[in-house]
Amino acid sequence: MNWLQTIRMALKSISNNKVRSFLTMLGIIIGVGAVISLVASIQGMATLTRLQYEAMGTNKITISGWGLKQADWYKLEDTLSIDMKERVKGWSPQSSYYDWQSKGVQYRSKILSNETNTRIYFGNQDYSTVTNMSIVSGRDISTTDCAYASRVCIIGEAVRKYFFGAMSPLGQHIRIGGKSFEIIGVYAGKYGGKLNSGDQLIVLPYTLQPLMMNISPFDSRTYIVQARTKDDIQPIVDYITNTFQPLAGDNGYFYCESDAQWQEQAQASSNQLALLGGGVAAISLLVGGIGIMNIMLVSVTERTREIGIRMAIGARRRDIIGQFLVESAAVSCCGGILGIALGCFGSAVIGNLLIAQQTSNMSGYMPDIEHFTVLPSPPLVIGAFLFSALLGIIFGLYPANKAAKLQPVDALRTQ
Amino acid sequence: MFFRKRSAAPPPVNHSLLIDVQHLSKIYHEGRENEVRALDDISLSVPWGQFLCILGQSGSGKSTLMNILGCLDIPTYGIYRLGGQAVNEMRPSTLSGIRNREIGFIFQGFNLIPALTALENVELPLIYRGMPKSQRRALSIAALEQVGLAHRLHHRPSEMSGGQQQRVAIARAVAAKPPIIMADEPTGNLDSASGREIMEQLATLNRAGTSIILITHDNHLAEMAQRIVTIQDGRIISDRRGKGGLL
Repeated sequence: MNWLQTIRMALKSISNNKVRSFLTMLGIIIGVGAVISLVASIQGMATLTRLQYEAMGTNKITISGWGLKQADWYKLEDTLSIDMKERVKGWSPQSSYYDWQSKGVQYRSKILSNETNTRIYFGNQDYSTVTNMSIVSGRDISTTDCAYASRVCIIGEAVRKYFFGAMSPLGQHIRIGGKSFEIIGVYAGKYGGKLNSGDQLIVLPYTLQPLMMNISPFDSRTYIVQARTKDDIQPIVDYITNTFQPLAGDNGYFYCESDAQWQEQAQASSNQLALLGGGVAAISLLVGGIGIMNIMLVSVTERTREIGIRMAIGARRRDIIGQFLVESAAVSCCGGILGIALGCFGSAVIGNLLIAQQTSNMSGYMPDIEHFTVLPSPPLVIGAFLFSALLGIIFGLYPANKAAKLQPVDALRTQ
Repeated sequence: MFFRKRSAAPPPVNHSLLIDVQHLSKIYHEGRENEVRALDDISLSVPWGQFLCILGQSGSGKSTLMNILGCLDIPTYGIYRLGGQAVNEMRPSTLSGIRNREIGFIFQGFNLIPALTALENVELPLIYRGMPKSQRRALSIAALEQVGLAHRLHHRPSEMSGGQQQRVAIARAVAAKPPIIMADEPTGNLDSASGREIMEQLATLNRAGTSIILITHDNHLAEMAQRIVTIQDGRIISDRRGKGGLL
């Protein structure tokens, strides 16, 4: 008796008992569905977090400190641009302009009031690169701009939309804190170009900082560094930390950190969460498996006579075992397939809910995710399917064995 | 050889005998208060090609004897040789093979599988034998035609009369042309006309060379056989010639 025949017989017996088969499958369907939607949602959230990090720039290192001498800061800058040239793709000082609230940002008579939050940063020619912003029209801040403290600025998509609409902003002047700056470039929108999002920003050459605010050499400073590759991150962090942390002294502070660490931690914790969630859901799968065993036992009892007839006309024990095993495996595989469908649907629903929540929590700083749908990954789907097939076989073994052990004459005598 | 040899059969073996039973007993609950001796020291030899009837009242042990002769049950004591091979020493899978290839069963209760059509029921033993689809289909259809059910191939047992169901069972038993047919009260659940038809078919098979063992309680029916062995309380009380294929 070949396997094809056995499978055909099994499917026949399943379709003979449609309602019962479906109810038996239900345990597996729910179990597989739960595992898939939980794990896929958690994985989707992890992907989302990664996308958020990536939107802010990959391989980023933040250096921040206070209490170092001016010469130490110069030494840091030299280290980044000369000594570590091979590892550093770009670096820029970063500081925010605090005083904009008093006058806001103005273009002619239009004011971007302080009800919405315009972020104004000082950076150098690498600032766009290290923060992963791209110029969509005009040009970037140049070394010359920095050297001569040119009164220029780059505006974000939200600012451009607000002030200029369809008009070209290039060459126009806006006023920040009462001072006038020429717009030389526009950043591409990353957060939908909405107000109150990460797209509402203006970047000025860092040498304009003294013009805009009172700064003291003792103020804290921040640098953003972008490493060339992932592998360059740790050497940079280690070297900078070892060299400059001692210079901060007892009253100052200095740290150099990469968000890769955060990313790894986030990834690790989401993996744990996926394992935990998947494990809990797998318990329901187990319950489903026990349901299969229960029904197969009923089926064996119910069909004792049939088993006897089959044995009388020449079925061997392994034919009987095969029949019941294939039957329970077929039930659980069908359940597995339906469960995968349910899981895909469930993960899309749960995933979208989570994304919506995440978006509202992270208002303005969620990258565009129009094309982001939470779908289970192929290994997850295949794994869940194989696991359900395995469940069917494991929980079918006992009933199948019970059926095969019957003495033909005893089985035939059953009415 | 009749069967593939597993081990050398113990001598002496008379290969001209289909069935060679010596001192066979089947005892239930042995040694306890409710001990039942269903078969008590039965010895019986049946040559190839014989139409044998085992006659007995209900409870006489005739069905137990048939179950043992048909390799469905194992004796408590005694030796049973089928075609020269000791059945006692065989493994379950070998016994399955014998039931599949050498013996065709016809039961009183038809014992068809309700979920399968007539054709599928007839095909089932051939499936277990591993016969290719086209061949087994041809054999099964031929067998069903032979019992006059060519027009009922795709009917389920529940859609057929008792006589038709028993004819399906006969088709199942004879499809692969086994050398032995065992029939346990094949007419028991049928009206006399259907019963006569079934008996005619058994006689025809016997004329074609098939050994037939018929179990019945009906004296009149038993007369159809060439030889009648009467059983009472698990013992053979008579062994005589029948009229042999004539009603």
